[in-house]
Amino acid sequence: MARLSFKGGIHPLKEIHEGKHATKDKGIRAYMPEEVCIPLDQHLGAPSTPVVKKGDMVLVGQVIAEAVGPKGIPVHASVSGEVTGVVQKQLLHDKPSTCVCIKNDGADTWVEHAGLGSVETAPADQIIPAVRSAGICGMGGACFPTHAKMTLPEGQTVDTIILNGSECETFITADHRLMLEQPEQVVDGLRAAMRAMKVAKGIIAIEENKRNAYEAITKAASAREGVSVALLKTKYPQGGEKQLIHAVTGREVPSGGLPMHARVVVLNVATAAAIADAVTQGKPLIERITTVTGCVKEPSNLLLRVGTPVSEVIAACGGTTEEPGKMFFGGSMTGVALPDDTVNVTKANNCLVVVNKKDAVLKDATPCIRCGRCVAACPIMLNPMRLNELCEAGNLEEAKKNNMMDCILCGSCGYVCPAKIKFPFKEAKDKIAARRI
Amino acid sequence: MNLRLSAGPHFVARESTQTLMLDVIIALIPTTAAGVYLFGIRAAWVLAISVISAVLAEFIWQKLAKKPVRVSDLSAVVTGLILGLNMPPEVPLWLPAIGSFLAIMLVKQLFGGLGQNFMNPALLARGVMLVSWPALMSVYTLPVRVLGNTSVEASADAVSAATALIRPSAYSTYDLLIGNIPGAIGEVCKLAIIIGFLYLLFVGTISWHIPVCFVGTVALLSWILGSDPLIAILSGGVLFGAVFMATDYVTNPMLNIGHIIFGIGCGVIVVVIRKFGSYPEGVTFAILIMNILTPLIDRWTHRRVYGMVKKHA
Amino acid sequence: MRNEKTTMRGVFINGVLNENPVFRLVLGVCPTLASTTNAINGLGMGAAATFVLLGSNIVISMLRNFIPDKVRIPAFIVVISTFVTIVQMLIQAFVPSLYEALGLFIPLIVVNCIILARAEAFASKNSVLHSAADGLGMGAGFTLALIIIGVVREILGNGSVFGIDVLGASFQPMLLAIMAPGGFIIFGLILGIVNSIVNKIGKRSAGKGAEA
Repeated sequence: MARLSFKGGIHPLKEIHEGKHATKDKGIRAYMPEEVCIPLDQHLGAPSTPVVKKGDMVLVGQVIAEAVGPKGIPVHASVSGEVTGVVQKQLLHDKPSTCVCIKNDGADTWVEHAGLGSVETAPADQIIPAVRSAGICGMGGACFPTHAKMTLPEGQTVDTIILNGSECETFITADHRLMLEQPEQVVDGLRAAMRAMKVAKGIIAIEENKRNAYEAITKAASAREGVSVALLKTKYPQGGEKQLIHAVTGREVPSGGLPMHARVVVLNVATAAAIADAVTQGKPLIERITTVTGCVKEPSNLLLRVGTPVSEVIAACGGTTEEPGKMFFGGSMTGVALPDDTVNVTKANNCLVVVNKKDAVLKDATPCIRCGRCVAACPIMLNPMRLNELCEAGNLEEAKKNNMMDCILCGSCGYVCPAKIKFPFKEAKDKIAARRI
Repeated sequence: MNLRLSAGPHFVARESTQTLMLDVIIALIPTTAAGVYLFGIRAAWVLAISVISAVLAEFIWQKLAKKPVRVSDLSAVVTGLILGLNMPPEVPLWLPAIGSFLAIMLVKQLFGGLGQNFMNPALLARGVMLVSWPALMSVYTLPVRVLGNTSVEASADAVSAATALIRPSAYSTYDLLIGNIPGAIGEVCKLAIIIGFLYLLFVGTISWHIPVCFVGTVALLSWILGSDPLIAILSGGVLFGAVFMATDYVTNPMLNIGHIIFGIGCGVIVVVIRKFGSYPEGVTFAILIMNILTPLIDRWTHRRVYGMVKKHA
Repeated sequence: MRNEKTTMRGVFINGVLNENPVFRLVLGVCPTLASTTNAINGLGMGAAATFVLLGSNIVISMLRNFIPDKVRIPAFIVVISTFVTIVQMLIQAFVPSLYEALGLFIPLIVVNCIILARAEAFASKNSVLHSAADGLGMGAGFTLALIIIGVVREILGNGSVFGIDVLGASFQPMLLAIMAPGGFIIFGLILGIVNSIVNKIGKRSAGKGAEA
């Protein structure tokens, strides 16, 4: 079977199996939190406005915040119980987030919900509204409201939907276990999206380090109309949508454009599974699979309710094996570090890694020796060596001319650099974007 | 809990500047061993003095300039070793010391330290010494020991002799390959250089582009101009220069296409100097000239960035 | 702005130190490199140039109100070349070895930037006595620079100072030092050292001035 790929890229942590060995064979297990604090700004776009107040009793799946604007999505209670407060909490954004905190009464009572039937027979024009009312956003990390992604602007057509099952980042095994244990749901979600957007071709793309998942999905997809499965070479950042689209279809997303400009829409496999739940049963997005790994006693793939505090997540894995020096959400290449364990899990958090004191310290940067490893690693074929020189000199105009804005912030350059240079590309991109407004 | 807040990547590759330099030193071990075997204890002294002087020069400069002392990144060791390997074995011992000081202080540190030199430090120091002390730098002697079955007579008494470039017919191809010839300490044993090259390719320290294009161009042009291409590659400093000096990261272009241009340019200049110039060997100046042209090569070469296509309908 | 520049003594010292033509104004680099292969040649060239500077500054200053503005450059050149011709004949007559050593660079003093620059910038706008001081100062500064560079190059390239062997017979001279590229390198290094010293002094006196 031919393995598809893209130019550039790296193999991070290859010597320890990308950090996935601890959890790739661990089945998904559910965890019920004692309390949750659900942020209302988890998705890209305007935060939703709360419709409950302190003291209200809520059921699982009940709407606790309403969508704002056509791109907004509602937020639902992930546990049943009493609302202990609607608070401002400093999470990982620049400003504090409004959160609805609920004390779990343990009953797990669901609100009444009804689906549209099987994905093959549900009315196609009701699928996207169902996706919206279920509060679904991209669960691969970006959390872009899925209904907005599925609603194309006037005149734009799409001929392929790709499901991103590559999970190229280190440490994460959530999507792997989902595809292995619930392949029908993933394929159902793809079929629902295909029918809603009137797209004939659906491709589920999986990296070859997940052979068992590939086989499970292939089996589940075998009888489904228009669905095929693509096997990808294991390389980072294969899951980046630009690289994914290029590997699977051979097309390139134009500079400054979106996947739809290459007539493709990309969805994460977990998002697809959530779409299937929303369409068939009317279930809103209130839980997700999160890999918890690193210095915890029992690394696991947990099915977590949205808003579960990180402290409970770590306790659910037996606690830490040694004093943590750093914790981050996501994989090691693009993960976001946590200030402490009071932060809450959101719809987009696919992984939590606990790092010990020793590994938390990274070497200081030394002078660039112009070795060119960053140039070879960049999946966008940029020249990080030159861009770094320009950013250090403050010459952002020249950096923009050298395609600084095309950088996908994958971190490949920072990973391979022998001089341990910390490339300042996020700050540079933010500054360039801010000045041009 | 006291958690570190930093941006990704949170785990990075194990390679560092120090490990890269260490790989180069390891690749130079066969050449060093062959040179010391062939030319005796005198060669070992030359090498030791160049390396120690280079490290000392960097230490002194960084202390005086109140900068962090970074001799542990081994880049000074590599410069000193390459400089030493480029010297004839019978030079007065103060010469490699001065050369190392020139290389580290004048060429490298004065221009901003590691990563900022615009020419290969060992090579520019060698060029300066070649011009300043031409008599001392051009005295080549027969090896004190020979390897294998050969008609070359080893001499323990430092008998000076013409190098293979001046009298190629005096030595067989086997002699040229194994090093039973007069020459600089590191450049004579081509077999050791090839082993070093293969090691560097295997561990991924260098790519094949510059050495292959450099050596290939020398062979091709020499053949076109009527000389034996194999002899042309095996005599003089072409192999040593192509593998260890032209591949210095700081002074060669950024992109692979730039490397190819660089290698070909070096080859052309070597052959031109050998055929039409007054020096018997042109490797030093060829690489230095291409070093100067590197910023220009970088300006003229580009890669197509992902996404620079017309928008799909 | 201090008044040192306006006294004759101030003008003289300015030419030697603050606005040393070789190390600070970086003028006359060509004869600098050519004549500093040893210290005696440097001294000789410096003396010749000082003679010309002094003479041309005085005469141009005397004539400053008579030379029409439009033809001032050709007029300066005529004056300068007169003095150069005089000094050339003097050297040829009294120090023939220097004449041989400096060769073409003696008549080239005519186009030495220092002399034309001082004529234009100073002598044509100031009194005779001040112009004389300036000419003498610039000449002294030029000579001082030439001697410094000449001594360094001679020691490295020949093992001697002013012709006197100081490093012994076992010294292997560094041939590059008496060649043009070596001259550039050594000149550049000395320029760097001088300017870093001047910067340090400048910082210290600015610090003192700030404290006062």
